Amino acid sequence: MPDFKTEIRRSIAELNLPPEDEAEIVEELSQHLEERFEKALSEGASEEEAKQLVLQELDESDSLGAQLRRVKMPLRQEPLTIGVEKMGPRFAGFWDDIRFGVRMLRKQPGFAVVAIVTLAIGIGASAAMLSVVQDVLLRPLPYAHSDRLYAIWASSESMGQTRVAASGPDFEDYLEQNRSFAHIAEYIPLFTFTWTGDGEPKLVNCTSVSEQFFPMLGIRPYLGRLYEPREYTYLENDTLIVSYRFWKNQLGGDPHVIGRVVHFEGVSETIIGVLPPLSDLFPDTDVWPKHTVRPSWPYMQWRGNKFLRVIGELKPGVTAAMAEEDLTAILRRVPEEPRDVRVQLVPLKEDLVGNVRLPLIATLAAAALILLVACINVAALLLARAVKRQTEMAVRLSLGAGLSRITRQLVTEALLLSAAGFAVGLVFAWSALRVLVRVPNLPLPRMDSVHLNGPALLSTVVIVVATTLLFGWIPSLGFSRLSLFSALRSRGLETVGRRGSSLSLLVVTETACSVVLTVSVGLLVHSFWRVIHVDPGFQPRSLLRVYLRTNYYTEKGRAFWKDVLTETSSLPGVRSAALSDWRPGRDAATATFVFEDRTNDPTRLPAGEGSWVSANFFQTIGTPLIAGRFFTEHDDEKAPPIVIINSEAARQFWPGQDPIGKRIGVNYTGPGRRSDAAPRLREIVGVVGSIRHGSLDAAAAPAIYLPYLQDETNHDMATMSLFLRTNGNVMALADSVRNRIHTVAAAQPVQNIQDVEDLVSQSVATRRYTLILAGAFAGVGLLLAAVGVYGVISYATSQRTREFGIRMALGATRGRVMSYVLRTTVVLTILGSLVGVVVAILFSRSLSSLLFEVNPLDSLSFSAAVTLLVLVSIGASLLPAWRASRVDPIVTMQSE
Amino acid sequence: MSIQLTDRELKKGSAELLILSLVEYRARHGYEIGQLIELRSQGTLRFNIASLYPLLYRLEKRGWIRGRWVEKPGQRRRRYYRLTRTGKKILAAQRDGWREFVAAVGRITGIEYA
Repeated sequence: MPDFKTEIRRSIAELNLPPEDEAEIVEELSQHLEERFEKALSEGASEEEAKQLVLQELDESDSLGAQLRRVKMPLRQEPLTIGVEKMGPRFAGFWDDIRFGVRMLRKQPGFAVVAIVTLAIGIGASAAMLSVVQDVLLRPLPYAHSDRLYAIWASSESMGQTRVAASGPDFEDYLEQNRSFAHIAEYIPLFTFTWTGDGEPKLVNCTSVSEQFFPMLGIRPYLGRLYEPREYTYLENDTLIVSYRFWKNQLGGDPHVIGRVVHFEGVSETIIGVLPPLSDLFPDTDVWPKHTVRPSWPYMQWRGNKFLRVIGELKPGVTAAMAEEDLTAILRRVPEEPRDVRVQLVPLKEDLVGNVRLPLIATLAAAALILLVACINVAALLLARAVKRQTEMAVRLSLGAGLSRITRQLVTEALLLSAAGFAVGLVFAWSALRVLVRVPNLPLPRMDSVHLNGPALLSTVVIVVATTLLFGWIPSLGFSRLSLFSALRSRGLETVGRRGSSLSLLVVTETACSVVLTVSVGLLVHSFWRVIHVDPGFQPRSLLRVYLRTNYYTEKGRAFWKDVLTETSSLPGVRSAALSDWRPGRDAATATFVFEDRTNDPTRLPAGEGSWVSANFFQTIGTPLIAGRFFTEHDDEKAPPIVIINSEAARQFWPGQDPIGKRIGVNYTGPGRRSDAAPRLREIVGVVGSIRHGSLDAAAAPAIYLPYLQDETNHDMATMSLFLRTNGNVMALADSVRNRIHTVAAAQPVQNIQDVEDLVSQSVATRRYTLILAGAFAGVGLLLAAVGVYGVISYATSQRTREFGIRMALGATRGRVMSYVLRTTVVLTILGSLVGVVVAILFSRSLSSLLFEVNPLDSLSFSAAVTLLVLVSIGASLLPAWRASRVDPIVTMQSE
Repeated sequence: MSIQLTDRELKKGSAELLILSLVEYRARHGYEIGQLIELRSQGTLRFNIASLYPLLYRLEKRGWIRGRWVEKPGQRRRRYYRLTRTGKKILAAQRDGWREFVAAVGRITGIEYA
């Protein structure tokens, strides 16, 4: 027989086929030629003639190679196909792999569902948190030159003050003398105006801005125009710019709003512009009145009246440090400023989001842990499943399937899982963000513009795909050494050893991650519990607060407040009424003190908090008297000036002494400070308990309280909080309170009526949300860990049914078998917990700024977390343990 | 006279039909298919190796036929082709198409068949 194979090989050499494929084609075609040869011989040709005949056929017409190339050769293999799924031509193989993979997964829906949901949870949590971090922390502000925008604050160590705002004269000096800024503007954020004329008088939120504010930020009007420079040359507000939100909600989105006249504080103003939605800066602002620097309102002329926020855009080439030096020098030229006053520039974005950075990062870390646990779970599931398919793989391998083909199959299945998990996770993440954005009072800035974003998704997808690829591929490493004989014989029952130990490793890692999450949550819970049990220094329960803003700067004011107090305190259900300019949950205004009984360094005056209050203020809010007396009705403008201090002030300034009778002067730097002259000395008549004015987790500062009738500025009297001690249900009185106040002044807006308990609890809102979010994550982490433990233990025990059957046949009880399984779980969990505890110890230090009066190594939190994990793991392995104990030893022995 | 089927359209269209119908009820190997075509057409139609096997592979790639190596006792292994379920449907469709084509040509040219 002539060698036709060489001829054929030669004809198809140019196709560069893989060796196995080429061999098959050569074999098939050479058989054809050999048959031809035999036939020619049988028809009487000689060997030589027959050979030529055959070769001629090969050389005829179109070349074999060209024809084959046109077909784009299907590559083939799989000599025998016993008991194997359809294995068609490989070039269409990718789709085959997918269809095959889908079918395999459909056969084990439990595994597929668990894997997909697990991945979805990990992806959803991470993608959502990454989006929030991206949009709140990382995304630059949408303003022109945002990298050169800074917030400007002053500080003074000697005064113990940081983040001090500017006064009118401060800003004027900045404006005139600075050399560092291309633009500099001031604004007063979120004060309230009364809007009259359209039904019930309403309070609206205002942010007033100076001339360069809008141009600096590059804000263009949505409708109408912005203020012109000439409008900043006179005081009166005759034109007004409103926010998008106000225009939509309160003005009905009126397309003809430009030119419409509205009434604020009794003044008619024409609307000239509507701003576009501004989610980064004051999304709650309704209207944007202009604020002139020169000419200016009286309160803009007092150096000590520090309430203006200043922002500036640096000139190109000027650094923040240079600008700080520049402005510091300007302030230090002012005789009234402390010697060591320093100006600090904070990047504007930082100013807005700085205080939520840590909670957000912590939550992101938690989400990352969840993702890790999810990936580990899926990895374990894939590994376990791969072992179950050992037999199938062995058969396929010995029948000639390429290892690469099998690997490709496994990897494709893993990719299918991650694709499905990704799709579901996407839905999770998207829904989570929708929910998050709608949460009321969420103390996160810039939340309006958070959405699921590309980079976040991409990073999550990359991680997930990498994991699934890895764990789809790893099992195939073991298969290359598998022999059909041993695989069939053991029926895939041997697992311990490499496969088993990698699963244990995964369980340990998972447990460790869960421990870290749970410990963190435990610490936060403990902190939160401490915070809400802090003694606020007064009794918030059954206390009602009404925010009243008037424009009475004169005698009219005194009469008004007196009537309000009289009317409201006589309401049924109200025990007493009082006034203060303090809002619970917000720090009281700053005050500095001048002492009669010692020398005072004007540049280093001690600072604290201060508030103007009515006579029975402390009795109404429930603050105890420690020494001396409370204020009375007689402590009015005709009486000698007096003051009450808190116990913290007594402790700091008169340690071990009795402060009653001593005299101090108070520079009360709330807005309204009228002059820079030395304050008159007041006699201390009482010491009260220390109130936590602001957030519960801030230490009580020294504080002074002044009778509001002795307020020489008169400015503050315009805005006060009315406190009502009630008999019980606070909000039920809201309407009657409103009506009573209207009997005093019919046009008085009475809008903010609040339960003081709510206000106090809002002050810990950030803490609460962090806790809830972290708790949710830890809960999910625990759930995933439980699923992982369940999966691994149940797989491990199912592989050892033979062993258990033998043990029971040899006399072990069911209980022994169960406890054996449970013991394995406990050992793994404890190992994992140890690792987790070590990691948690490292991690918890970075949490310490989120904690309140709780040691980062708080043993209660740690031990609670570990115990919880052990219990959960035991719970998760109860079912597999029980199943193991129900193995029938007789069945096992029979199959031996 | 043996017609070398050089008209590509005709050859292509009918060649597929030929092969599909030959493996409809029995799996056959390549040489056998070629022989049957030559035999049953009484020498009119003839496939050479460069036309037959690429065609077989093309049909296989489309999933109309399936090829498998089979080893019968006492013989070396050969590659057998058999019709798939999809192939069955295609075959039925092609048969119908062929019948209509032939009938149409007949109506135009007046050629009729017994």
